[in-house]
Amino acid sequence: MRQLTLGVQLKERATFASFLTARNVEVVAHLRHVAEATPPGATWIAGPHTAGKSHLLQAVCAATAGKRAAYLPLESLLPFGPAAIDGADQLDVACYDDVQAVAGLDDWERKLFSHWQRALERGGTLVFAARENPAQIDFGLADLKSRLASSTVFAVRELNDDEQIEALELRARLRGFDLPVETARYLQRRYPRDMRSLCEVLDTLDDAAFTAQRRITVPFIKEILDRKP
Amino acid sequence: MTAVTHEITSVDGSSLWARCVRALEDELPGEHFNTWVRPLQAVESKGALKLLAPNRFAVDWVNAHLLSRLGEIVRRFVEGDAPIVTVEVGSRLIETGRAEPVGSNGVARPKRSEGIVVGVRLNPDFTFAGYVEGKSNQLAKAAAVQVAENPGRAYNPLFIYGGVGLGKTHLMQAVGHAIKARDSEARVAYIHSERFVSDMVIALQHNKMNEFKTAYRSLDALLIDDIQFFANKDRSQEEFFHTFNALLEGQQQVIVTCDRYPKEVSGLEERLKSRFGWGLTVAIEPPDVETCAAILIGKAQAANVQLPEDVAFFVAKRIRSNVRELEGALKRVIANSRFTGRPITLEFTKEALKDLLTLQAKLITIENIQKTVADYYKVRVADLLSKRRSRSIARPRQVAMALAKELTTHSLPEIGDAFGGRDHTTVLHACGRIKDLRVAEQRVGEDYQNLLRTLTG
Repeated sequence: MRQLTLGVQLKERATFASFLTARNVEVVAHLRHVAEATPPGATWIAGPHTAGKSHLLQAVCAATAGKRAAYLPLESLLPFGPAAIDGADQLDVACYDDVQAVAGLDDWERKLFSHWQRALERGGTLVFAARENPAQIDFGLADLKSRLASSTVFAVRELNDDEQIEALELRARLRGFDLPVETARYLQRRYPRDMRSLCEVLDTLDDAAFTAQRRITVPFIKEILDRKP
Repeated sequence: MTAVTHEITSVDGSSLWARCVRALEDELPGEHFNTWVRPLQAVESKGALKLLAPNRFAVDWVNAHLLSRLGEIVRRFVEGDAPIVTVEVGSRLIETGRAEPVGSNGVARPKRSEGIVVGVRLNPDFTFAGYVEGKSNQLAKAAAVQVAENPGRAYNPLFIYGGVGLGKTHLMQAVGHAIKARDSEARVAYIHSERFVSDMVIALQHNKMNEFKTAYRSLDALLIDDIQFFANKDRSQEEFFHTFNALLEGQQQVIVTCDRYPKEVSGLEERLKSRFGWGLTVAIEPPDVETCAAILIGKAQAANVQLPEDVAFFVAKRIRSNVRELEGALKRVIANSRFTGRPITLEFTKEALKDLLTLQAKLITIENIQKTVADYYKVRVADLLSKRRSRSIARPRQVAMALAKELTTHSLPEIGDAFGGRDHTTVLHACGRIKDLRVAEQRVGEDYQNLLRTLTG
């Protein structure tokens, strides 16, 4: 009989503690400050789609104790129209992810512009994430683009190979098991080397190992992942 | 919204909602939790747990995906009759920065209508003292000073136009501050056109247009920003036209800003464009490098930071588009300096702004790596993908593989596939070989660096 895993295993949450800082020391320190002190104003983080920006935005939300915060993944909310983010300008902290997804969409850009105005009028804290910095994104509304460009902009650097191994080990520890370096390197050699894909692979393996009551070893990985279509 | 709340406390003293939140955080995917649950507020009372969501969409989501589970969780935490959980749009604590309209002598002026607040607080930094004058804005500043000294009479309306981020808002608010400094009772309101439109819509919805009109027409000075946001909004233009006329007739000052010359704004009524030309129209041009540097030094001083002149010029020369972008760069430099405790020097600034100035816009693919490497070594892409093992082909192929590993997130088997179906161990070997050769052979090291620069812009 298969063992149910729901609600039993430790769950990795997107917090600062579960983010491997590596070469992103300054941006992480700045975002921690933003989450704790919620200073009025805007921060913009830019980087490749697997650099960990979504993780950092959610970590900001998680660290804003006692404040009203929300994580707003614009690309996912796109099909529902700009009304899906109504009211976010009244929050203490609003974290908008994938901002490039709404560039060129007039109704979304106007909504973001309105949020910018309202939130900063009330001393709110805004955090944006996108692939590029505001000046490089093709916004149609120049007024929005210039305001976003006044944010404090940071780049988020992707992890290199060694840092990825450390991050996988950290993720494994947070899920309650040890991941041998050799096993991590095996994953890195055989699967897409972005952290999002590697974490998904690791989570799949962890679930399978828990169900099978086995340790995650190279033979186990082959057994589980190579049989997947 | 105000609500008297009576929190249902549990054995450990925490509120019922706090316990529900902790339970949901364990159960829901992080993204769902942070998007839908975290912004909820709760009003707890005996027999009821009312959740307040930011919008209708969030209410629907909670109703569809969360409510029944939440009912189960609540029953787990409460002995006896569990409260009924409901969700609606609302907010328990809203602190607004919106200012009360300034001044209230009430003499010969209509009373401000209850419930209608015009404008937002003036930015305390936007004064004449903090406004850096240069060739690009000296005429506009001179006009603004005149208006501040003689509101309603000197130039009415004062129409300031120019591109985004050039200081129009600063200048108009400086007039507002100066009018207030001369007469603390003066009613001065700054409002963005987008806000005027949405406030008017709300007034219409709540049948409060008379109060809306009265509130605007009782001002001593109306500062209305970015009038281009009125384009194609006929009802708002109509209302603003009448407000504008009423203020001008009463010799109350109107200052308008726009991103272009009034006649060039499409979607704006001709009669409104014509009225804007009744007073004085002045332009603000993009600032020259010297003015940009002075603006940076001024903004740094406002943040209690000493910015060396060479640093100010370095930033000003590289970021020329508008003042807001300059401000963003300055904030980054200050943030880095505060974090590291290091003084702001030219070297420090170059380092701090490196990623801002060079953030890559390009998407690097294996295909464009192959093409770039083939062009560089003057071989064909087909050769890189072929079985040929001569050094003139094998070396560029190894370099291309190493670059693909460094610059993309493809797995080694995927990279091998993209190079004519090679095994991942071949890719691993190529990466190791190039790593060694970059140290051992200067030429290989230079080639690699050149290609890296070309590919990453």
